[in-house]
Amino acid sequence: MLAVELSGIWKRFPGVIANKDINLRVDVGTVHAIVGENGSGKSTLMKILYGMQKADEGTITVNGKPIVFSSPSDAIEVGIGMVHQHFMLADNLTVLENVVLGSEPSKAGRLDFGAARKRILEISNSYGLDITPDVLVSELGVGDRQRVEILKVLYRGARILILDEPTAVLVPHEVEELFQALNGLKAEGITIIFISHKLDEVLEIADAITVIRRGETVASLNPKQQQVTAEQLAELMVGSELPTPETQGSTVTDKVVLSVARLTSVNKDGKEDISNLDFKIHAGEILGIAGVEGNGQSELVEAIMGTRAATGEITISGVNVSNLGTRKRRELGVAYIPEDRSRLALLLDAPLWENRILGHQTKAPNAKGFRLTPKLAKEDTKTIVKEFDVRTPGIDVLASALSGGNQQKLIVGREMSSNPILLIASHPTRGVDVGAQAAIWDHLRAARENGLAVLLISADLDELIGLSDSIKVILRGKFVADADPTNVTPQELGNAMTGAVKAAS
Amino acid sequence: MTAAILIWRGTSSKRVKILVIVISLLATLSLVRMWADVLDLTSRGTISAALGLAVPIGLAGLGGLWAERAGVVNIGLEGMMILGTFGAGWLGWQYGPWAGLAGALLFGLAGAAIFAVATITFGVDQIISGTAMNILGLGFAQFFAQVAFSDAPGGGPTQSPSIEALPSFTWSFISDPLVDLHREGYFIVSEIAGFVSGVFFRLSILTVIAAGLFFASGYILWRTPFGLRLRSVGENPHAADSLGVNVYFYKYIAVLNSGMLAALGGAFLAIASSGVYREGQTGGRGFIGLATMIFGNWRPGGTAAGAAVFGYIDALQLRDANGTAMRAVVLLGALVLFVLAVLALRAKKYQTMFALGVISAALISWFLVTTNLPKEIALVAPYLATLLVLAFASQRLRPPAADGIPYRKGESK
Repeated sequence: MLAVELSGIWKRFPGVIANKDINLRVDVGTVHAIVGENGSGKSTLMKILYGMQKADEGTITVNGKPIVFSSPSDAIEVGIGMVHQHFMLADNLTVLENVVLGSEPSKAGRLDFGAARKRILEISNSYGLDITPDVLVSELGVGDRQRVEILKVLYRGARILILDEPTAVLVPHEVEELFQALNGLKAEGITIIFISHKLDEVLEIADAITVIRRGETVASLNPKQQQVTAEQLAELMVGSELPTPETQGSTVTDKVVLSVARLTSVNKDGKEDISNLDFKIHAGEILGIAGVEGNGQSELVEAIMGTRAATGEITISGVNVSNLGTRKRRELGVAYIPEDRSRLALLLDAPLWENRILGHQTKAPNAKGFRLTPKLAKEDTKTIVKEFDVRTPGIDVLASALSGGNQQKLIVGREMSSNPILLIASHPTRGVDVGAQAAIWDHLRAARENGLAVLLISADLDELIGLSDSIKVILRGKFVADADPTNVTPQELGNAMTGAVKAAS
Repeated sequence: MTAAILIWRGTSSKRVKILVIVISLLATLSLVRMWADVLDLTSRGTISAALGLAVPIGLAGLGGLWAERAGVVNIGLEGMMILGTFGAGWLGWQYGPWAGLAGALLFGLAGAAIFAVATITFGVDQIISGTAMNILGLGFAQFFAQVAFSDAPGGGPTQSPSIEALPSFTWSFISDPLVDLHREGYFIVSEIAGFVSGVFFRLSILTVIAAGLFFASGYILWRTPFGLRLRSVGENPHAADSLGVNVYFYKYIAVLNSGMLAALGGAFLAIASSGVYREGQTGGRGFIGLATMIFGNWRPGGTAAGAAVFGYIDALQLRDANGTAMRAVVLLGALVLFVLAVLALRAKKYQTMFALGVISAALISWFLVTTNLPKEIALVAPYLATLLVLAFASQRLRPPAADGIPYRKGESK
């Protein structure tokens, strides 16, 4: 029995064909993954299935009946629900209020809180979602919020769920919880369409996989019956062999660029977020920091950049910067790729060329003396856009108009084009697709050969092991182990990160 | 105080907590009244006047609450209030007070509609269009007051002829005996007597209506599907939209309500407080209303409390011929700050505690070395009180998340 069948779907936008002749068959009660690079057309396809956009050609069949959607409410009516990548929740309302909003049970004009609570608990219990109706959403973690989103959709009677990159915002144990919940849903006969480009996760959860490349369905696989590896999937996605983060040979010199001693930062609860960290990074060396998120990585980076109060000594190429402000530190040649690009690296409502000035506002080509030089900055932005392959209609568009991958390339370009001696990179390839990832790796490798010192923080262990010359494992704000990237496996590293065993060094 | 804290801790009931706060406040007030020896602090006249001064501010605040709960910062409340005073004056002197009331609502609605079209449909910055609203309201009222009232009997270019009064109630059989009880000066008992006698003395029907509106607003906004949708629009309009809530519709309703409430506040000033429309009558009460709404954490109960504090200090200040009552207010302020300092100490917020403690000590020494306060200081007292309260309350305040952000359908991030 098919829950959803899409056949011969075409969708053209001015200048691009987003979907060409896409065919998709999803069985009832299965998890069906749709994989593809950013911009391969999978989001467009899902918007078509959810009624947000209309296909130019092709038919949609839901539960055996051909259907034409003109708005999401049509899709909701036939039992299709969408869980958006960016949560659609109001933080200051309770879970209950968020769930019932728009289809509230009422009694004599009054919102019937009792009935709503009962219904929510019923759904939560029958699918094992573990949701408490009367807490504020602001008190929930990311994983809980996602389950609230799922419950919201189920509350409206959905039997087919579309999850748009659901794991992008989750940490590993939250992914585990999500998968448990999805299995619970599947057992109750709910159909799940799972969009992702994280291939390991796809292989773990999916009963069937459809691969989309440049708007076309290039393969339909059944991982439960045939042997499929992540590499094969990736090659299908990209259409060529997969890039790797491997570096060639050692370029480490004996010139110390960054030296950190006894670095400690205490948070407002009086707890030490990082305590007594000591390390050195040499020119041409990439030092990787491995750790489960929230173990002091962010605090370490902020302490080095001077945006968080810390004690201890930080020396950048011989200059003690412990008491210098962030701008002074950056002027010494520190480049910075922050972990959260929309919050820390970009002004989303400013054009690209203004974003290019950001953080480098005192130096050429952006400024001369106390005066900004927009003309030169714009010229330079054009160069960055070209060299770093930022796909944009121009440098006057707002940063918010770019996709995540292109935003990231712009940031990397901005930071690398100032000829830095030290790069602090937090998750430099997070949320970008395979192609952009490879490009960013190339730039990092080239800079390393030219003598750049890099502090690399990444949750992608393959990236960390591949790029780094040495790795330190951080746990609860302390370095607990060193690992040698030439012979450590991601599994060993993962164990060390959770404090289970010491990594082989 | 220890007892109060113990009861506070032992209960989770909101009602009991409110009762504890009210009784503690009454006790403090009583202590101050006895220490400073100012009987007028809680007399029938003071309470009655305070109520009359609190209502327009409270209505403006409630208007602000409606708009901001739907994500629109309505800084144009003052302008809408002025329109309300004019509407009340213009129709009021010709056709009676009830017509004046209707006129105020109509003018408030019209002003709010202009503001709503600009901010909601066209997405104009809310502060700018709100400021424009204030200028427009003032200019409109000034111009048409000249046109309408210059030749009217008993009117002038800046003032309307007098408006007939609305019904008001005095229940002497309750009020009068309590006045005698108040004069006896018993601890707490006299305060309660003063309050009750004040409430049942020349109680305007508009005050009753205003109180009803506060309860109705609380019920509608927090207990009905309509209210949930309206609030969701102020918290996350994109989420609301994705669930089929018509964001623009709810914003319009909220802003129109806001304008009518502010105008009703204006009508109160014109009809109940003075019996005429007079230029400059609002005296910035729209802005003060906005401040009480913030003080009240965007909730009706809090807003009412804020307006009450304001009305109370204003009333004392107006009735205070020789500055002794204002001197008592200094002591009252000192005691309240002292209590807050103790609470800060318990919460281990030492900096806050220190700041509060120092101000409290300074106020007490001031109280001790003076016998009366200059009138000038008395005049700014209500504003000073607001400023202080906002400064210390702001850490706990939580505005609607999407407050002040223009909404554009489909521009989700």
